[in-house]
Amino acid sequence: MAHRKKNRNVGIIGIGQTKYSSHREDVNQPEMINEAVSAALKDASLTMKDVDCIVHGNMELFEMVHQPDLWHTLGTGAYGKDCIRITTGGTVGATIACAADNLVASGMYDIVMAIGFQKLQEGHTTGGITNMADPLWFRHLQTGALTGTKAYDVIKEFGEERAKRASLMYRVIMDKHAGLNSNAHRAFGLEFEQIDDLIKTSPKLVGDLKLIEMCSQSDGACCVIFACEKKAKELSKKPVWVRDHITVHREEVFVMFGYDDRHPFPMTHRFAAEQLYKRNGITSPVDYFDVFEMYDPASWWAVDWLRDFFMLKGDEHLKLVENREIMIGGKIPVNPSGGVIGSNPIGATALIRVAEAALQVRGDAGTHQIPTPVNHALASGFGGTMWTVLMMLEKELNWQGVNNG
Amino acid sequence: MGKRVAVCAVAQIKNDPNYWHLRFQNMLHECFESIMEQTKVTFDMEKGIRTVITCSDDVFDARTISNNGVTDVVGAQFRGEEKMAQESINGLGYAMASILSGHDDVVLFMGHCKESQGESKKMVTNLAYDPFYCRPLGLDFVSADALQARAYMRKSGVTDTHLAKVVVRSRKNARKNPYARECALVDEQDVMSSPMLADPMREMHYYPDTDWAFGMLLCCEERVKEFTKKPVWISGYGSCMDSYFLGDRDLTSNFSLKNAAKRAYEKAGIKDPRKEINLFELSDHAAYQLPMWAEGVGIADEGKGGAWIDEGGMEKYNVNLSGGQLNGNPLLLGGAARAIECVLQLRGEAGDRQVKGAKKALAQAAYGGAGQHQAVVILEA
Amino acid sequence: MAEYWGIKVEDIFNTMKERFRPEGAKDVSASFGYDIKGEGTWRLTVRNNTMNIEKTDDLAGCAAIMVADGETFVGVNTGKVDGAGAFTSGKVKVEGSLSDFGKTAKMFRKFSPPKKEYTDKDYIQDMFGTIVSRFQPQNCEGLDASIGYDLRGEAGGQWTAVIKDGTCALKNTIEGKPTVRLEVAASDWVRVMMGKIDAMSLLAEGKAAIVGDTSLALKLGQIFAKYTPTWAAPEQELIMLKRTISVNQKFSTGPVMGKFLNSLKEKKIYTNKCPKCGRVHLPAREVCAECRVPATEWITVGPKGQVRYMEYVYYASPDPLTGETRETPYGMGNILLDGCTGNDTFAHLIRRDQIDRIKGGNNEVSGTRVRPVWNETLTGSIHDIKYFEIDE
Repeated sequence: MAHRKKNRNVGIIGIGQTKYSSHREDVNQPEMINEAVSAALKDASLTMKDVDCIVHGNMELFEMVHQPDLWHTLGTGAYGKDCIRITTGGTVGATIACAADNLVASGMYDIVMAIGFQKLQEGHTTGGITNMADPLWFRHLQTGALTGTKAYDVIKEFGEERAKRASLMYRVIMDKHAGLNSNAHRAFGLEFEQIDDLIKTSPKLVGDLKLIEMCSQSDGACCVIFACEKKAKELSKKPVWVRDHITVHREEVFVMFGYDDRHPFPMTHRFAAEQLYKRNGITSPVDYFDVFEMYDPASWWAVDWLRDFFMLKGDEHLKLVENREIMIGGKIPVNPSGGVIGSNPIGATALIRVAEAALQVRGDAGTHQIPTPVNHALASGFGGTMWTVLMMLEKELNWQGVNNG
Repeated sequence: MGKRVAVCAVAQIKNDPNYWHLRFQNMLHECFESIMEQTKVTFDMEKGIRTVITCSDDVFDARTISNNGVTDVVGAQFRGEEKMAQESINGLGYAMASILSGHDDVVLFMGHCKESQGESKKMVTNLAYDPFYCRPLGLDFVSADALQARAYMRKSGVTDTHLAKVVVRSRKNARKNPYARECALVDEQDVMSSPMLADPMREMHYYPDTDWAFGMLLCCEERVKEFTKKPVWISGYGSCMDSYFLGDRDLTSNFSLKNAAKRAYEKAGIKDPRKEINLFELSDHAAYQLPMWAEGVGIADEGKGGAWIDEGGMEKYNVNLSGGQLNGNPLLLGGAARAIECVLQLRGEAGDRQVKGAKKALAQAAYGGAGQHQAVVILEA
Repeated sequence: MAEYWGIKVEDIFNTMKERFRPEGAKDVSASFGYDIKGEGTWRLTVRNNTMNIEKTDDLAGCAAIMVADGETFVGVNTGKVDGAGAFTSGKVKVEGSLSDFGKTAKMFRKFSPPKKEYTDKDYIQDMFGTIVSRFQPQNCEGLDASIGYDLRGEAGGQWTAVIKDGTCALKNTIEGKPTVRLEVAASDWVRVMMGKIDAMSLLAEGKAAIVGDTSLALKLGQIFAKYTPTWAAPEQELIMLKRTISVNQKFSTGPVMGKFLNSLKEKKIYTNKCPKCGRVHLPAREVCAECRVPATEWITVGPKGQVRYMEYVYYASPDPLTGETRETPYGMGNILLDGCTGNDTFAHLIRRDQIDRIKGGNNEVSGTRVRPVWNETLTGSIHDIKYFEIDE
């Protein structure tokens, strides 16, 4: 008995997001959360009465609020409800989506609301992330989530010119996508013609990781409502079904990648993808999925991770980027929302991936909707010390015959 | 409820005022080894543990993403690991969901907290309040609890003498529990002359700083025989959140606990807890909370907590034979401590404090100031 | 000179002297250039807590030069353009040392646009320019009336507000007999409207007169919304509460990390390895994550080794333990200590003046050989090793 059949199906029936911004001085934390909660309830045509349980998540040291779900009750609507709080790292948004799926599928609750948020302007983000390192050792050395290792890796494998152009190509595509998404925090209006200039002029942060290639620090909240199959069908015209999800963590690492081909360095992304596709009978993810909302903290990582998540070989992932196949209208659009490089309220970021993937399946993504039908979507979360969460969403409830157990 | 979830094994270290010589990694690993030894469970992707749920807190650990320091010692390398960033009892509720959903067969649940590490847990819980109003006023869980204590004592006829009885009994019971924190035995006079912490709560009325770690292995009904001969079943779980501002709440109404208990009883099919449940482990951070939570779960009459103590309610319903939270468990982990005690009782492994023939037990946990959030778990032999 | 939001590029530079904060320029001795496209180049020189700014073509020897167009430059300085966004997208560029340029941020107070002196005439024009938009039809149901304003003095004039069928129209004259006619000096009327003086005391002093329907005059506050000058800044309601939160901690090392840290006191790197797979942990760890067994074997490695990879860090991040911003650029190396294999590297700092000479290695190429530099006082902490330097 490996991965058993799901006890019951779970659908996403409501999605709410705030605008993502670095200027939300106009609201406090519960007020900002309430914007997303109200939007999700409206989207689902529900009231708080219909919600059985709330799952809350963020990273508390960024705002320095201990057990923030207590105060945030003012904005989450948790009064009188079951309420739990589950966190991981940057993955937290995806983790609470998985938790909501588990809670509904278990039969314990019919309707569960997952809420992810962060007000990064209320603390120091890089300092906050550095605080995750071991206080006895690595905290003295680390620089938040900034690292040049991935750039070093990709350059070593594909040569400087091709690697740097691919990273910037990815970055410009994300900026173009963000320009279509009115919720996005940053859309600069970058053009492909600027790639060579940006390679030369964008300030370096660490090694070959440049400022333009790194994600933003945003304020914002996202709320997604999950319901059991019966309720989802009753309440929603277009429920989006959660097919499966997988979480893979790894030890606190001091070494982020390998240096020695004789000692291959295992990667969580590829491991998670392999396991998930194996148990769902998916052999060619690039062909199977119609959209991928990826947690892309920096364009170097993003380019490289496409290979892991899509189980590609050699330079296939670079070609996807270079040929703009990841753009809206391409073979496999990645982050039509503009991704994490565009908006990054960390505790909400991975839940936004799930929310945006679901909007694409529903066909409700508005100006950044993919023109072709979206039946199968993939969302990823990234955080901690190279942790991965993957969630698969489906338009139709028709995979039960497939190997899922 | 159709399918059930089993607790196959529990492990814990002794509650201690200050494990100065151990990192929380060491504390957890001891529990981890014990679970592995008891159950021979593996981390095989097909048949073993694929998901670990941990419980810890970023502010207590002074670490962003406090769980990233434990991945290796809880065996979660290349496996799922999700952190219950709330009172630990909710981790049991969530583990239950993970298994009943069909997503996992076997879940390892582990938690740690070192209250000795930070300068003051009052500074930590002060941070649970909004930075604009309550935090600058100096509200923390102790002062919020004191406001509730005053209101509750008036409503339910609970006196300083009753509270002294609760404290004396807690420490006496803890002597029979090998995992309990070492606390000096006291008499009622000692308690009643202990200094005020936050009027009407005296220092001895409040649980002391404690370091602790635990582990539990849970699995689905179909596979329970692979891991234990003496499963204990989780048959009910419920939680409930109350309002945030103390002024918006009726502090003596037990609003959130009554709801949480009702939800757990419904799931477990319990109609009369007084008759059906053999022992109760209540999360009494402060002495007044023992009779108050007893009212909340329905084993003391509403507003009669004082008389309930006088009439021997604590013994009659086998409440906190472990010594309870009052004797010392970390704030975050009181619920797991309560549940583990229930498991030991239901397995007949509770030594000198064993309730003969115990079949059903209740574990309760409160978190937030004045029990803003409450959760209840029902366990069965 | 083009103006952006009413402000010229020169305005920013010309006010630098009065905005200068010597306390923000401590220990800075450098020149900074500003290349504002289409506007010219400026040179800022900071030395001994003083500064000088001059418009010059000579930017030689500047530690850093900021390049931007006029609109972006003015926008960033006035808060109209998001500085971080402009920098990230390349609209603002910095040539030379970014961390040096960052120091200029602390040297100056925020630029605020010069305050214009407004005359009574400006106010009167503004009041009548906004009167129709301030009309409150919901309070004027069934009202059919005209209000004449006879304002005397230099800034004065005559106006009539005609109210009928829930609309308001303004005439720049007084014709015939309005329902009510206000007679007052324009300068006094401005003071009334700005709340500096109340109308009743003007009437009492005989400085103002109401001719006609007095009760209508008393309702003016309902007929028109309160006047605020169009140039007034919106009222500040948002408050940011700034707090530094700290809770003192005692971090236990535990026996494993304790043994490792203690060995540093003897200038040794003594650590543990997995008894199953042989992986060496740096620093020591309780268990081997891969094999899920306690790492029980102890060995001495290094202290010399080769750099496998070095993070070349330009970004000045704060050290969360001290709050101090780290000096940049700095290098953090992954060092393969002698006696270790594969990926079992040790992370530590590299001597700052040597980071440009460090070469990484892999299984085919050897990286730069390095050795630890020990601190004078050894306490059993990471700081017992100051950094690694090239072993030559």
